[in-house]
Amino acid sequence: MGTVRMGEIEVSSQAGEELVARGLGSCIGLALIDRGSGVAGMAHIVLPEAPVSSEGEPEPGRFADLAVPELISQMTQAGAVVRRLDAVLAGGAQMFEVGDMDIGARNAAAVQEGLVRSGVTVRATDTGGNRGRTMRLTVGEFTVKVKEAGGQITTLFEADGAQPSARRKTQTKGRSGR
Amino acid sequence: MTPRYTELQLDALRELANIASGNAATSLSRMLSREVDLSVPRVLALPLADAVDACGSADEDITGVVIPLQGDIHGVVLLLISPEGAATLCRLLGVEPQSDLGESALREIGNVLGTSCLNALASMTGLQLEPRPPHVTTDMLGAIVSSLALAHTASTELVLVLDSELEVSNEPCSISFVLLPTGGGVTDLLKPLGLAETTAS
Repeated sequence: MGTVRMGEIEVSSQAGEELVARGLGSCIGLALIDRGSGVAGMAHIVLPEAPVSSEGEPEPGRFADLAVPELISQMTQAGAVVRRLDAVLAGGAQMFEVGDMDIGARNAAAVQEGLVRSGVTVRATDTGGNRGRTMRLTVGEFTVKVKEAGGQITTLFEADGAQPSARRKTQTKGRSGR
Repeated sequence: MTPRYTELQLDALRELANIASGNAATSLSRMLSREVDLSVPRVLALPLADAVDACGSADEDITGVVIPLQGDIHGVVLLLISPEGAATLCRLLGVEPQSDLGESALREIGNVLGTSCLNALASMTGLQLEPRPPHVTTDMLGAIVSSLALAHTASTELVLVLDSELEVSNEPCSISFVLLPTGGGVTDLLKPLGLAETTAS
């Protein structure tokens, strides 16, 4: 079972394996895919940046500023090439209005920024809003599917041959009337 | 800065949780005119990912009633109810589930249970505690629990979960009653009991 829990990073090149980030709230599920080498990876990122004065080593998978380079590095070690990477993001919701400080939006921004800095192209995003999500990446066929709480499964990214069909759906901040 | 708790502290917290959820169970029983059974509470100090798993499956749909605390300690009281259980509660209160009235009934249950839990905690510890108005949301369990823990601590250190199950007799309804003290909340709970000092690590 390829469940990627909060703060965890998984890399796989085993066709058919699924990497799943379940119940993303303000967290971000980041999927990276290199079709050339068949390597894919996922991070379940919790907070935008590691605390400055933390005692001991912070776990890199938890913080966007550390998790993005860490995931990329684990993938290149597995044979991926950075300039071929396709990135897909989901999550970053604002679940509650009280005391939330919109960590979700800050997480999404921090991950995007980290990807830009590393030269990785973002192919599709489904972030924001106020619903939880589950993100599912299938290695080999390289599809990324997202299910929103109480909603349908939608395909966010599909890599068929050389022409990935990608779409972008970013919900604007603020709560819809649902 | 990861807080560690001694067995004695965990026992004290378990006792607090026991009395607080006992009070909440009594209120619920009165409100519904039904017997309510109460499990022995669990007290868990866990990393966030494990705390979510301890509450249930991360992607299961669940109705959460969130009661933020204000006063001397920070944290939230969280009621986790299966959608079926939420419908049962609405039916017992004579309102249509999944309507505005149904949501308002669940909010009221949150109010009553939150207040009775806090009254118990306040009288045991001498702390001033008040519930703020509850929110009701139906969403994925992982999304609810993680976002709450993060919103109220903004850290990924150990999360303290005090939880017990309230079960309405002869009805398909059980409520997971979770107390999530955050930040210095745990130390503040232990201090009046004379057990705060050993927290320093």
